[in-house]
Parts: sequence; structure tokens; C-alpha cells
Amino acid sequence: MTASLLSTSRLYRTVLSNGLTLIGLENPAADIIAARLFIGTGQILETPETHGLVSFLMALLTKGTTTLSALAIADRVESVGASLGTDAAPDYSVISLKTVSADFEEIFTLATQLLRYPSFPEAEIDLERRLALQYLRSLQEQPFTVAFNHLRQQLYGDHPYALSGQGSETSLGALTQADLMAFHRQQFGPDNLVVTIVGRIPPEQAVDLVERTLGDWPGTNQPRPQPTLPSLTPRANCRVIPQNTHQAIVMVGYTAASIQAPGFAALKLLNTYLGSGLSSRLFVELREKRGLAYDVSALYPTRLGASQFITYMGTAPENTAIALAGLRAEVERLSHSLLSEAELQAAKNKLLGQYALGKQTNAQLAQILGWYEILGLGVEFDQRFPAQVAAVTALDAQLIAQQYLREPSITLLGPEAAVTPVGEAEGADREFA
Amino acid sequence: MGTDYASDYHVLRLDNGLTLVHHELAATPVVVADVWIRAGAGMEPLEWTGMAHFLEHMIFKGTPTLAPGIFDHLVETQGGMTNAATSHDYVHFFITIAADRLAHALPHLADLLLHAVIPADEFDRERLVVLEEIRQAEDDPDWLGFQAMAEQVYQDHPYGRSVLGAAATLESRSPAEMRCFHQAHYQPENMTVVITGGISLEQTVEIVSQSFQDFPDPCPCPAPPTPLIPTIQGVRREQLTLPYLEQSRLSMAWLGPGIDNLKDGYGLDLISALLGQGRSSRLVRELREERQLVQDVTAGFSLQRDCSLFTIQAWLDRQQVDRVEAIICDRLSQLAAQPIPRHHLNRAKRLLSNDYTFSIEAPAPLAGLYGYYSTIARPEQCFTYIPTIQQYDETTLRQLASRYLTPLHYVSTIVHPS
Repeated sequence: MTASLLSTSRLYRTVLSNGLTLIGLENPAADIIAARLFIGTGQILETPETHGLVSFLMALLTKGTTTLSALAIADRVESVGASLGTDAAPDYSVISLKTVSADFEEIFTLATQLLRYPSFPEAEIDLERRLALQYLRSLQEQPFTVAFNHLRQQLYGDHPYALSGQGSETSLGALTQADLMAFHRQQFGPDNLVVTIVGRIPPEQAVDLVERTLGDWPGTNQPRPQPTLPSLTPRANCRVIPQNTHQAIVMVGYTAASIQAPGFAALKLLNTYLGSGLSSRLFVELREKRGLAYDVSALYPTRLGASQFITYMGTAPENTAIALAGLRAEVERLSHSLLSEAELQAAKNKLLGQYALGKQTNAQLAQILGWYEILGLGVEFDQRFPAQVAAVTALDAQLIAQQYLREPSITLLGPEAAVTPVGEAEGADREFA
Repeated sequence: MGTDYASDYHVLRLDNGLTLVHHELAATPVVVADVWIRAGAGMEPLEWTGMAHFLEHMIFKGTPTLAPGIFDHLVETQGGMTNAATSHDYVHFFITIAADRLAHALPHLADLLLHAVIPADEFDRERLVVLEEIRQAEDDPDWLGFQAMAEQVYQDHPYGRSVLGAAATLESRSPAEMRCFHQAHYQPENMTVVITGGISLEQTVEIVSQSFQDFPDPCPCPAPPTPLIPTIQGVRREQLTLPYLEQSRLSMAWLGPGIDNLKDGYGLDLISALLGQGRSSRLVRELREERQLVQDVTAGFSLQRDCSLFTIQAWLDRQQVDRVEAIICDRLSQLAAQPIPRHHLNRAKRLLSNDYTFSIEAPAPLAGLYGYYSTIARPEQCFTYIPTIQQYDETTLRQLASRYLTPLHYVSTIVHPS
């Protein structure tokens, strides 16, 4: 449907002498410019001791620079009605901004100062720590989040993807200003940075702005520490979290292919087939035909390391056993029988159509362009991915299902009388929440 | 057929009474079709609470010529998306799809909306799904807090009732009653079809007029009770407790004007930005950043047909609730009494104007905006938003604050961990 990004003549890519990569797309359709500054460092670098460091650091970038206070930063952004935020993802971190065209240069320049000259003021560290600890506690209020945090631990063990990214009480309590400064010095630099700019701005103007604001940032020329990731040996397991909720949460997860692994496109396709939209297999079989759930779906996030393939639903507590059996049967079916040509084609159309629909706004485009680049795949991946998906055969899909969807991690959260017997039948180790 | 032109935007009334809004965005290969109907929870008789939302689910269960699930499959396998939502003032159904596929998809959506059969077996099964939706909501502390607040604010007005309804009421409903509700309200004069994106007006008119034909004959249906516009006398405070909570919630609410006074409504929107949107807004800065009394605080204005809602919500430790509530009351008195610095006012105006610009970048939110205004007022009224916001001066805004946001009359709902 939507033409690939690469085929548009307005796309440009340039690497500055200090190693910074700029990717831009001139899009005059609306009076809006969106930009992203991607740093190639994420939660994947964290250990249980430093858990939450990246997320904490990114939040603090907007809380003070060597020349601006937290309040001055907020005031500059909000007085022109711009949006500016930071985020720490598992594989990268990012500063995002969006303005009407006239305000772009001012706010982009501010973002580059946040990136280069954070001061991590002690008072702001204390406030942010307090807010982060409260947020950590508030996550316990959402049954789905509680179950998902358990499932992640079951799947990943010692791997950094086991961690939520939000930190723990212990790790957040121990973080110091010196830790933040050291991590910033080590990880933040032009050779670990991808900038994307999309909107009503001519390429020469965007390049000039980036040169002026980031071109004099010297590269470190020091190798950055790479994460040492433990290998994962999937083993079926089950965990029960007794909680007096109105609904039981049932989750079935598997560790799955990274974005670079050969099974990536096939697993995206299988995940779409199972869990995407009102015509997906899980929705039709478990909700439409059996009325077992309101929310039933699947997810398979794009990851640089071993990803996760998860199906889940919320159901009346007395339905826990049949809900679990239903989810497992649908996943296991993918290994036992071939998808029909019609099912395969329908899933391809759906996946590629939704991929195209994810590129409607300047902010969405800025995200996709920089994301592939920072993951080391290059913007060309935007073209390669649809081709990979189109090439998947029913047999490929079945073989990939057999390879990855073998040893389920099961998480059951709900009233004890409903979930414990089901968990015990699966050999659950019990958790007392 | 009458036509009203304003740049790329057109509103037409078809011969059968259906309203059509079209806005071409030539740069996008995507089209959104968004059908808005005055058939929300506000149209329900009391004992039918939950019917409008349950019907939204049942619309997808087929027509005499379209089996359940075929429409979803058709849209999604052509790379599109479809869904629906229900509120008190409206229900709406939407498709996002490649522009050249609209002519294939829209006739089926129209068929579902006009000729839903509501089969008895599907009715019983889908009710289980709605009951799951209710259970899920009951595990969400913020949803529970909001419902408790709405009940206190709106009392006997339908806005005080949950759109989802309650299990007991839903168990007593029949497919025949639902068919009656459907045929009574899914009529052209209650309906706006909005088409935005990469499609011309000419094509749009052709596809829409061919799709939306043969409306069912309207049947008599029990009417909703005449809504009583509520008033808040004095301070009404309610506390409830919930398990598994880690922190308390404080929700303070005031009533705003209905759609007949958009100017005041937009002014209250401006005040909400001034007080509680963004880190440099007054309440966030004082309560969260400086005095560190709350985890978060936010102000919001929600425009509704009969009467709008202004809220200030805080997430905080139990022992800070009384103090924070008192400070907020004090700040509202100050707002009415002391001149608003130009910088504060300009910041709020820029914030809202840009939010509006950002929100209509893609065809789906643009369609939603037209549909919403068409359903509760007139579609072109959304164009008055930015000019009205920009015209406000600080004196008028302070008058609004003292008229609507008094610390003497409001509702306060507090949720504590048990």
C-alpha cells in the first residue's frame, strides 16, 4: 500500500565526520516537524545491580543541563507548545520531539543540549528517585503488568531482558550522580548516535542544523563495553500468583528469534495470524466462538537479542483451565499442521498492511527510520522486511514454530482457588505476591 | 442536496437525511471511514443500561447476507483495521484502509450498521464477552475511581452510569429488545459518515450514497428518561477503599457547560492546561516538582453534549490527601482573584493550539474530530476551537474560574488502599 520509505526521493542519509548518522525525510504535508535522537544503548546493558539505570538517566536528561534548570527546560518546551520526551527501550534510548515548523530549530537545539550537557543535579536525582520508586509500587496495581513481569523472569532468568527496565528498590536506591555521569560519558557520543528529522524542512536546512548543534561533538574513539548475554535454554515452567482479582490472567510465552535471526519474519507472521485484530485466530476461536475473553491477543516485540513470543488473555477465574488449554492448543497447532495458502496470504496482507499504516505521521516515520539504523540493520530494512515476509512459505512457518514454540513458560494470576489447581497440574512453583 | 464549502472540507446532507463529511488529504494513500451515530448510552432507558455498548459488539455479528466475522476478515486481510467505541453521547465504527479498497469495504460496514440481525445464539455468547470486559474494568483502580466520581457528579443523569452496564441488567436483556433499540436509533438523521484521507469528494459521495441505502423502518422503542442537568451544591466527599492499591487517588470534579456554550467550554479547557498539563503548569510544578506531595497531578476538561466535566486528579500517599485537596482549593481561589501573567496564558494557548494541529496530522483523528462535533453539535464548529482559544484574555478567564470552578461546590472522590 504505502510506498517504501526508500523509494521516496526526499529521503536522505549522511554521516558527519564525528561519526553521527543523520537520516531525514522532507514531508511538506503538515506544518509539523518530528525528530528523534537515538542512542545505541539500552536496558540490555543493565545488570541486577544497575537495573533501572538507563531509564533513570533518560528521565533525568530533561531535569538539568550545565546552563539550564529543570524548570527552565520545561518552560522552554511548553511555552511554545512543543512536545519533548525521553524513553529507555531494551535495545536503545531516545529523545523525541515534535513542534510546529517555526519552533523546530529552537527545540531541536535544546534537545541536543540535553543530550550533550546533562548536569544530573542532586536535588533532581532525589525527586526522580522518589517518583521512580512510587511508580515501581504503582505497577503492582495492574494485574496484567504483575503477571507480565513474572513471565519475563520465567523466560529470561539471568538475561537482562528478564528485567522490567524500571529498576528495583535496591538498585534505584544505590544509583548515584557519579554512576549517571560515568554511564553518560561512556555511552553517549556522536559515534553512538542516530538523528532522524521528518517534516516540513528542506534537507540542506536539516543538515546545517545538525552540523551546527552536534558537529563539534568529538567522538570518543574508545570501544564501548558490549553486553555479555547468557545463552537461553528454554524449559517448560509454570508460575502461579494468587491475587483476589475479578479476572484471571493467563499467559503463555516462549523465547523467540531476534530481529537478525532467520525466523524473524516467520514469527512476525505467526504472531499476526494468532493475535492481531478482530479476525485473528485467537480472537475468533476463543472470544467469538467461545466467549472466553474480552482481551485475547499475542505479542512478539522486535528485539536485537532473543525476543519473546507471548499469547495471553483475561478470563473469568473459573475458566482458567480451559483458557490455558485453548491458548496452548492454538500455539501448538502451528507446529502440528500447515497453515493453508489462504490463511498464510491473509496473514501476510494483514501484517504488511498494518506495517504500512504505522507510517502515517512524521513522528512514526522518524521512529522507524532511526530504529532500524540504531539496531545496526540500516534504513534498508524497511524494504527488506516486507520482502522477507512475502517469501515465507507455510512450511517455513511450521518449521520455525517447531523450533521456537516448544517449551512454554506459563503464568497464572487470579484467585487462589481458581489458579492454584491449574498451576499444580502444570507443576508450578508457587509465588506469594 | 446542500453543500457547504470550507477549503478541503465538505459537509453534505444526503436525500435520506444522512450527514456526510469529507476532507481530502491528497498526500496520504490511506482513507478513514468513521460512522458516528447518536445511539450512545444516553439513549438507554434505565433498565436497559449497557444496551448501546452491547449493541456495538453485536453489530459485528452479521446481516442476512453477511455471516459473522466476514467483514473483519475482509478489512484486515486487505491490510486495513476496523473497530468501534461507545460513549454516552455517541457510538462510532471506523475503518482505516488503503484508499483504493474503500469501495470494497464500506458497503459491508453499512450493511452491518443498517441490517444487523442480532442472532440469539450470538447474543448469548457475546454477552459473556461483555461480562469479561466488565470484570477487566473492575480490576482497574482508575476506572473504578472514575465511575465513583461520575456517579456523584451526575447523579440521575445518564453520564453518571457506566457505559458497560452491569451484569444483572445485561442478563435480563433480550435480542428482541436490542433489535428494537437498533432500529429506533440507527437511522440516517442520527448518523454522520466521515471520510478523510486520499480520496476525492466525487468518489466519496458515490460510495457513501450507494452504501447507505435501505435503512430499516424505525420502530417504537422505550425512551430514555428526560435527563436532568445536575448541579453540585456544597462539597460532596466520598471515600472508598480497594485491595492491591499502592497509593491513594484524589479526584476533584466540577460541572462545565453543555455544547450550547462552547466558548465557556473552551475557556475551561484553557484553564485545565494552565493548571495541570505539563511540568511547568501551576499544579504540577508546585505539588509534584517543588513540594513533592504527589506522584502525579493532572487537570482535564471533557466536552460533553449536556454538561461537561472539569477534573483535577492526583496520585499520592494517603496522608497527603487532605492537604493536597486544600491546596488545590486555595489555588482555584487564587486563580479567580489574581491577574494571570501573560506568559502563563500564552503558554496554555500555544499548548492547546499545537495539540490540535498535531492531532489532525493523520486521517483517523481528523475523522474523529468531525464525527464527534457532528454528533453532539455541528461538524464545522470544530473550526472555532483555535480562534476561540486565541481570543481569551485573562479577565474573562478569571470570570470563568470563579463561575465554574469554585472551591465551595465540587465533588471529591478519594480511593485508598485497604
